[in-house]
Amino acid sequence: MIIEDLPPSPAPVVPPPRPVAIAAAPVVAPGAAPVVRIGAVSAYYGPRRVIRDVDLDIPPNSITAIIGPSGSGKSTLLRCIDRMHEIIPGAHVEGSITYRGIDIYDPGVDPAAVRRTIGMVFQQPNPFPTMSIATNVIAAARFNGLVKGRSAEDALVEHCLRQAALWDEVKDKLHHSGSSLSGGQQQRLCIARALAMEPDVLLMDEPCSALDPVATQQVEELMLRLRERYTIVIVTHNMQQASRVSDRTAFFTMGTDRAGYLVEVDDTVKVFTNPREQLTEDYISGRFG
Amino acid sequence: MVFRVIAAAGTVVALATVGLMVYDSVITTAPVISTFGIWDFVTGLRWAPSFTIYGALPFIFGTLLTSVIALLIAVPVALGIALLVTEYLPPRIAGPVAVTVDLLAAIPSVVWGLWGLLVLVPFLRPIEHAIAASAGSVVPFLGPPTPGPSYFAAGVIVAFMIIPIVAAVTREVFAATPRLQREAVLALGGTSWDVVRRVVLPIGRAGFLAAIVLGLGRAIGETIAVTLVIGNAPRIGSSIFSPGFTLASVIANEFNEATEPLHAESLITLGVVLLVIAVLINGAGLLIRRRVTQVAGRGS
Amino acid sequence: MAAELTLARAPAQLRPTSGGRRTRAAVARTLTFVALLVALVPLLAVGSFIVSQGIGVIRPDFFLQDPPGDLSALGGGIRNAIVGTLEMTGIATAIAVPVGLLIAVFNAEVGGRLATAIRFVIDILAALPSIVVGIFVYELVVVGQGHFSALAGSIALAVIMLPLIVVSTEEMLRLTPRPVAEGVRALGMSRWRSYLAVLLPTALSGIFTGVLLAISRAIGETAPLLFTALGNNFFSVSLSEPMQGLPLLIYRNALNSAFPAARDRAMGAALVLIAIVLIFNLVGRWLVARRNLARR
Repeated sequence: MIIEDLPPSPAPVVPPPRPVAIAAAPVVAPGAAPVVRIGAVSAYYGPRRVIRDVDLDIPPNSITAIIGPSGSGKSTLLRCIDRMHEIIPGAHVEGSITYRGIDIYDPGVDPAAVRRTIGMVFQQPNPFPTMSIATNVIAAARFNGLVKGRSAEDALVEHCLRQAALWDEVKDKLHHSGSSLSGGQQQRLCIARALAMEPDVLLMDEPCSALDPVATQQVEELMLRLRERYTIVIVTHNMQQASRVSDRTAFFTMGTDRAGYLVEVDDTVKVFTNPREQLTEDYISGRFG
Repeated sequence: MVFRVIAAAGTVVALATVGLMVYDSVITTAPVISTFGIWDFVTGLRWAPSFTIYGALPFIFGTLLTSVIALLIAVPVALGIALLVTEYLPPRIAGPVAVTVDLLAAIPSVVWGLWGLLVLVPFLRPIEHAIAASAGSVVPFLGPPTPGPSYFAAGVIVAFMIIPIVAAVTREVFAATPRLQREAVLALGGTSWDVVRRVVLPIGRAGFLAAIVLGLGRAIGETIAVTLVIGNAPRIGSSIFSPGFTLASVIANEFNEATEPLHAESLITLGVVLLVIAVLINGAGLLIRRRVTQVAGRGS
Repeated sequence: MAAELTLARAPAQLRPTSGGRRTRAAVARTLTFVALLVALVPLLAVGSFIVSQGIGVIRPDFFLQDPPGDLSALGGGIRNAIVGTLEMTGIATAIAVPVGLLIAVFNAEVGGRLATAIRFVIDILAALPSIVVGIFVYELVVVGQGHFSALAGSIALAVIMLPLIVVSTEEMLRLTPRPVAEGVRALGMSRWRSYLAVLLPTALSGIFTGVLLAISRAIGETAPLLFTALGNNFFSVSLSEPMQGLPLLIYRNALNSAFPAARDRAMGAALVLIAIVLIFNLVGRWLVARRNLARR
């Protein structure tokens, strides 16, 4: 191993070889009030139910990983949390989701307001192709009216790009097109873009599935640092990734009614070393899915 | 082998026939060009067959003016319809709405002309009069006379005729906006307008331009409806409410009665001028479309 | 320094859309509905005008008699124009469809630069103002024959239809699944037979749709007929005589619409023309929609 050669770092730089190593990861303080509470949530595409009766609490300043086979409704659940599910024609959500005590599905709540506080990063990096790198970062802050004036904008661009660990790579080409970047850089640009809204919660939908291993590692390190300021929920079908970065893991699977449901959720260490359910163990040990 | 020969022969015969038609028409312009010269013909202000004086400028002017009026009306309307169909209406309603707008294109030119002559022109006359009496005294080109048939009436009719084609192409361009881009704006707390403003319009800009050029191509060639409402006056009008002529409408109106010397030949020369304008516009459209496909190829 | 930025968020708070942005979004949305309205008003106005004014004119005699020699005279019908339009459009279809198919197949076969060049010519042809097509055919056919004729009118309509048919056929041949195209070759069929026996029939419904839409376009055209078929007040089915068509009849009567008889005749003929165009157009669209549905 070459770990000894690296300078000391607060974040784990090289992924641990086996899930056991995660025992060292910080565990969420018990009793902290959840940021997001999901209660009895079912989601539908037209008449078809795709997730069923999910109850899940997301604790603050933690990374919650949602794992499970394809079709288990992981991404759909994520999209319910920032009210993105409903933009698909015919789709709707039942049950309740609260953000710090606010019912985000209350008829009086503006979905756009929810999305400003609960940011989202997509599976495919999707920087705006007609905008420069700097404009990409500032876009949402601009149309949401969070910044005024040239110098404030420049400062925010730098701040967010630094937070997204992209500044050093792009500081000399801020006015180039966002699509000129590599896939991993584009994904960090999208993270920076989301951070510029100064959200509280960050939802990440398989953010590394389109990236190579090096870029994946960069994004994972970034997540671990962002955890200090933000509450993060990540959907992943990569179990190693879940074990490397997350504090809590929720395992979903698809029922006989073809709707996804939550099998169990617990501290990541627990889920990966001593799951409560046989289904979880089968999935984690690679016996299915 | 036999098959290739037949297919090739059919293609060659068809294209050769078209080529021959173009050639025949172009050589017919020879006496006109040798008499007046290309430049003097194209920039000539006077069209007086009984004096064997032929200048094309009034018609080129009329063609451009009516096309510009038509675009000014049709483009915003078509843009609005395309946005409505792709961004605001649920798919179940959007489809029928799009088909209904397409029906505008199914109305034959001569029917538009008939309606224009009997309904639109009488309807517009008091409006033109009011504008000429108020704004017309300040703004040049909006003044009297307002007899009814006019560049303006022709522009309005042509606008109705090109709305469906511009709307249809724009609609397809906007519908091709990647879903991920729309979702990016929404997930950042954007409104439906932000989606349009930051993603749909910037990404679709070149395609929208191609749609406008296509509409322009249709507008310059529109014949019968224009002939029935433009008033048929072979001079450059002093106002958009003046009667005038376009290249296409003067040909339609005078060709069958062209007995003066060089009259028919001059009208055919006008047709060649129209042909050149159409080819130029179509070429521009092709260039834009080629760029659009390249851009689309580069994006994800 | 950048890290010391003061941030907008207070926790446990949603930031609703500002009133100004809400208004802007609502205004934009409303404007798109206004745009639709602007387009629907003329559609409804033309439709209701032609139907309300034309319906009273339509009696059996309107279809069975020819117009009087004097446009301003009452009575008579539009038999010659209906027959003329159907005959010229039919002949135009008989010319444009085989030629269009040959060009499309040739393009699919040779590919490369030549196909691109031919496609460019077809694009230009599609963009030609129809009055220019009228002039071209006048120069070649009318001047060549020495007189106006239904044949010249048919050729002019065929030139209008040709690019539409080539484009839709090429589209259909492109959409024919690769395995079908390759499987046919693998069977050792000659190309000729592979097209006749397999590829064209596979694409047939699509090609048929293209033909219907091309017909619906050509049938309403006036400008290409003005100096070719010319128009004819009498009943004629001869290809070498001038022939009346519905659009021509409407145009001539519209020019004389100060006479109530001419005006009524134009209205009735316009209603008949719209009905014919709509039938071809809607059947074509319906076939497109059905095919798209089947492909899903």
